Amino acid sequence: MSSRSDPLLRVENLKTQFFTDAGTVRAVDGISFEVYEGEIVGLVGESGAGKSVASMSLLRLVDSPGQIVDGEITYKGETIFGLEEGPDGDLREREDMLTNEEVRTRIRGNEIAVIFQDPMESLNPVFTVGSQLREFIELNRDLSSDEARREAVDMLREVGIPDPAERYEEYPHQFSGGMRQRVLIAMALACEPNLIIADEPTTALDVTVEGQIIDLVDDLQAKYGTSFIWVTHDMGVVAEICDRVNVMYLGEIVEQAPVDELFYDTKHPYTEALLNSMPRPDRTVAELDPIRGVMPEAINPPAGCRFHPRCPDAREACKRIHPENREVARADGQPHRAACIKHDVFGDEYEESVPLEGRAQETAASATDGGESEGSGVESRSQSGNGSTSKTDWRRGGDDRE
Amino acid sequence: MGLLRYTAGRVVQAIPVLIGITVITFILANLAPGDPVRLMLQGQEVNQEVIARIERQYGLHRPLHERYLTYMGNVLQGDLGHSIHRDRPVTALLAQRAGPTLMLVLSAYAFALATAIPLGIIAATRRNEPTDHVSRIVALIGVSTPSFWIGIVLILIFAIQLGWLPSSGLVYPWRSPDQYGYSGYPELAYQTIRHLLLPMIALGTLQMATLMRVERTQMIESLQGEYVKLARAYGVPERTILRKHAFQVAQLPIITIIGLNLSTALGGAVLTEYVFNINGIGRLFLEAIQSLDYQLIMGITIVIGTMFVVGVIITDISYAYIDPRVTYGEHD
Repeated sequence: MSSRSDPLLRVENLKTQFFTDAGTVRAVDGISFEVYEGEIVGLVGESGAGKSVASMSLLRLVDSPGQIVDGEITYKGETIFGLEEGPDGDLREREDMLTNEEVRTRIRGNEIAVIFQDPMESLNPVFTVGSQLREFIELNRDLSSDEARREAVDMLREVGIPDPAERYEEYPHQFSGGMRQRVLIAMALACEPNLIIADEPTTALDVTVEGQIIDLVDDLQAKYGTSFIWVTHDMGVVAEICDRVNVMYLGEIVEQAPVDELFYDTKHPYTEALLNSMPRPDRTVAELDPIRGVMPEAINPPAGCRFHPRCPDAREACKRIHPENREVARADGQPHRAACIKHDVFGDEYEESVPLEGRAQETAASATDGGESEGSGVESRSQSGNGSTSKTDWRRGGDDRE
Repeated sequence: MGLLRYTAGRVVQAIPVLIGITVITFILANLAPGDPVRLMLQGQEVNQEVIARIERQYGLHRPLHERYLTYMGNVLQGDLGHSIHRDRPVTALLAQRAGPTLMLVLSAYAFALATAIPLGIIAATRRNEPTDHVSRIVALIGVSTPSFWIGIVLILIFAIQLGWLPSSGLVYPWRSPDQYGYSGYPELAYQTIRHLLLPMIALGTLQMATLMRVERTQMIESLQGEYVKLARAYGVPERTILRKHAFQVAQLPIITIIGLNLSTALGGAVLTEYVFNINGIGRLFLEAIQSLDYQLIMGITIVIGTMFVVGVIITDISYAYIDPRVTYGEHD
């Protein structure tokens, strides 16, 4: 993952909107990110941040009344989505953009596969597990029915389903939740895609099963070298499995960094708030610190920085300035981007601005700690004192994958 | 094996239902105003002794519960009693009339399914478009219009105004063409269809309307299922999703509706047979009620009740056969 050639997938300024009676919902509002070969990229955020819509947009599978309205999605040099300015000045679909039929036959399944959140609902209740696997394998690989069947049984064995040949004949209701999720993972891998979108694949499972599934994916990912986009709201899962992370808030990516940088050199107050709101093995705190308020609706996002109504560090300037994602640091030659005007690259408007009412104390406290160190707020709450923690603490069983 | 035991279980469960049907009908028929003996005598003046003798002959002088038990004993031996007015065994009358009714009800269902399922799917895929609105209006009219009225209108248009189709009676394909004076079997088949068309539509419209709405709702729900999303994400063509992935799941409730609607279909058959002058069980039932022919009323009720119960059992069994999630009352 150190050799940065062309990315497998490049998303630029993607905008997906839903046109409802109540107004336009800007579910995904100009996000950019890349996925390189063999890496696991996290897409993190609260419910409603636009993670799932963003990931479905990559397959051009946005349900009506949703529509991709702008941006560019390039996969292995092919244009999944792209617009250009027509002669009359209107935006139109680019000539080289894949047709619906091409996306269906060339991208979906055989190049980019998905694993959905709810393993209970994702399998069709009236067909056997095997027949569903076989159908998708036949469709996405050049295999005969018999070969696809053999492949399906092999894959079921690979994902740890005992007696795969017998289980092949059974129906989804005869499988437990964890087993069904294994089936869905088998389905994704059996189609031999280069990229798998895992949309909260462990959210519906209990924690022990979640751990098993994550370990399984980790092993299989190492074996097959498949890239993943891992959509989740769980920072613990992110720490465990992702190489790079995109943090989403209200349709935007607010921070983008390699996983360790994100956790140990957090640059956006929202990411920090997310981290403070969950229990961590490396920190002992008296009480968890939930994020204040709820995420506003994407139909009418706040002006300025979208996080400012909930941000402990917000100042008057945050109400006016809508920051884009800029590189604020570099780690191992990789950019660390954040969309927060606290950082120097955004100029000095933040410094000159006054704290918002009701947030004076907190911001004053962190200001006296020394302007740039955002981590200080977290550490002051930690009882372990110096906050010097080893990176491996984050990962279950001290994973040494680097 | 499991299916067999399941079937047996359902049959056993049906027994109390059938007993309930017979008890209620027996009581209601006997509580109804009017005296069968006097009706039979059609106003002739006779003395008390004659009436008492007739009553004794038919066992009408005994208390209700005794008469019920005797009756049920006979029913279990396949004897549904003797029609007072027609002076024939009820079973013979029923056997003679069952064919036309079955033919009518089955063809009405065939018509309803053949139209409702494609129309329901079309409405579901063109949701909230003009096609969907038209289908909704058609369904609303279909549900709220009684079958006899549809029958009369159909007769007015297609039989009287246009003269395309016959307005009464049926031709039975199990009889020989000679009986009707037809040239051969092709003409017999042709005439069977010509005669059946209007009553079939009259009786089938309500079923079609109901089934179409259910099919539409089920398809919409099924098309929003996660498994459809997954199929799309794996590049399954929309055609296959519609015909296979969504369709299969959506048909399960249809089967239930067919079974449960058997009661309205049989009820509708009574009026349809009356309008189209078809000699089926329905018409026989109306005549039996008009003449207070207790034995016949009881016999027909038991037969229709049994048909309904059997219909529901068949529904349950086919449901268990089609939906793998239904276990036959065993462990998973």
